[in-house]
Amino acid sequence: MYEAVHAHPEGESTAARLAVTAASDGYDGVVVRNWRDAEPERDRDSVSDEAGVDVVTGAELSVTDRSQASGRIRSVRGEVTVLAARADSPDTNRFVAESERVDVLASPMAGGGDVNHVVVKAARDHGVRLEFDLSRVLRESGGDRVQALRGLRKLRELVEHYDAPFVVSARPASHLHVRAPRELVAVGEELGFTESQIRAGLGEWTHLAARNRRLRSEDFIAPGVERGRYEEDA
Amino acid sequence: MKHLPKHLRPRWRYLAVELEAWPDAGVRRGEFQRAVWFAAANLLGDPGSADADLRVVEYSFRDGAGEALVRARRGEVDRARAALACVSEVRGDPVRVAVRGVSGTMRAAEENYLGETAEPSREDDVAFGGGGERSGVARGERVDVDDAGSWVGATRRDHG
Repeated sequence: MYEAVHAHPEGESTAARLAVTAASDGYDGVVVRNWRDAEPERDRDSVSDEAGVDVVTGAELSVTDRSQASGRIRSVRGEVTVLAARADSPDTNRFVAESERVDVLASPMAGGGDVNHVVVKAARDHGVRLEFDLSRVLRESGGDRVQALRGLRKLRELVEHYDAPFVVSARPASHLHVRAPRELVAVGEELGFTESQIRAGLGEWTHLAARNRRLRSEDFIAPGVERGRYEEDA
Repeated sequence: MKHLPKHLRPRWRYLAVELEAWPDAGVRRGEFQRAVWFAAANLLGDPGSADADLRVVEYSFRDGAGEALVRARRGEVDRARAALACVSEVRGDPVRVAVRGVSGTMRAAEENYLGETAEPSREDDVAFGGGGERSGVARGERVDVDDAGSWVGATRRDHG
């Protein structure tokens, strides 16, 4: 199970500190959502060695304008292992859900975002994971939290109905925001999720990282063309 | 009032929790207890919160880190865990509450899970982000850097 984090300077803790904290909570790794500006000096392996857990490069694009988004998605796709995109309206949510290059539609219910059956079906058909964002449940109170809960419920009902792929995250932006998988399971159960849903959602990050690394490895000569078992180095 | 006979007394479970905050946070026991009750009431509602019956029975906190034992009714441990996960700040200070383990007696919880918080040390020559030397508070490998009035969580090897 992996957690997907925002590291310094976007967040308040460095990628290494977040990874160390996640390791102590029993995670197998972290996806750094802002890898490109988070770690200008340290490389992935050194952070990973220090924390003793896997560190995955990631990016989270903020999509506000469909016309520019395609180009940005294409240019960032090659730079990181896991690509998430965050939209700010039902319209841009749909655009992201239809973008096959994107791995995760991040926090689709936050801000002005909303989903409907069309978005969820599009996400399923294009292999885009919908994110259950627990951050506002864990860190807000009052009306904001009620809204977040309402959004999660709606998204959960749609995801269950269409059997759409999903990820779960507390979206930590500081090591103080990190919560262990067992704690997230306990919170999830209070909200109506099952234990296996929360664990599957945290495990999906692991699966995404492994799949994308394989697709980007040298075994793939071209998209869809993998080096076979009998290939000899000439 | 006379004590209940032993077989009618509630059974308890003790959650050993680790507290973490920024080094300048002063989180007192009463404030932490109120934050726990508040989180439980908000997440579980009044009936659920009364069922879980969360009480801080042991507490220590110094220089941004601490430990506590939180008592919950047996059978309500998962709901207690959920409520504790939602404690994200105590009187404006962001905190991290991590459950280290659960035991049936206070003594077992203390022996198995408490007493692991490393001693902090203040350091005045932390290099961070190429912006010269800052002061910071280190606890083992973990260092909180004072970055012009706001804290940044880092590790020793972040400073190169």
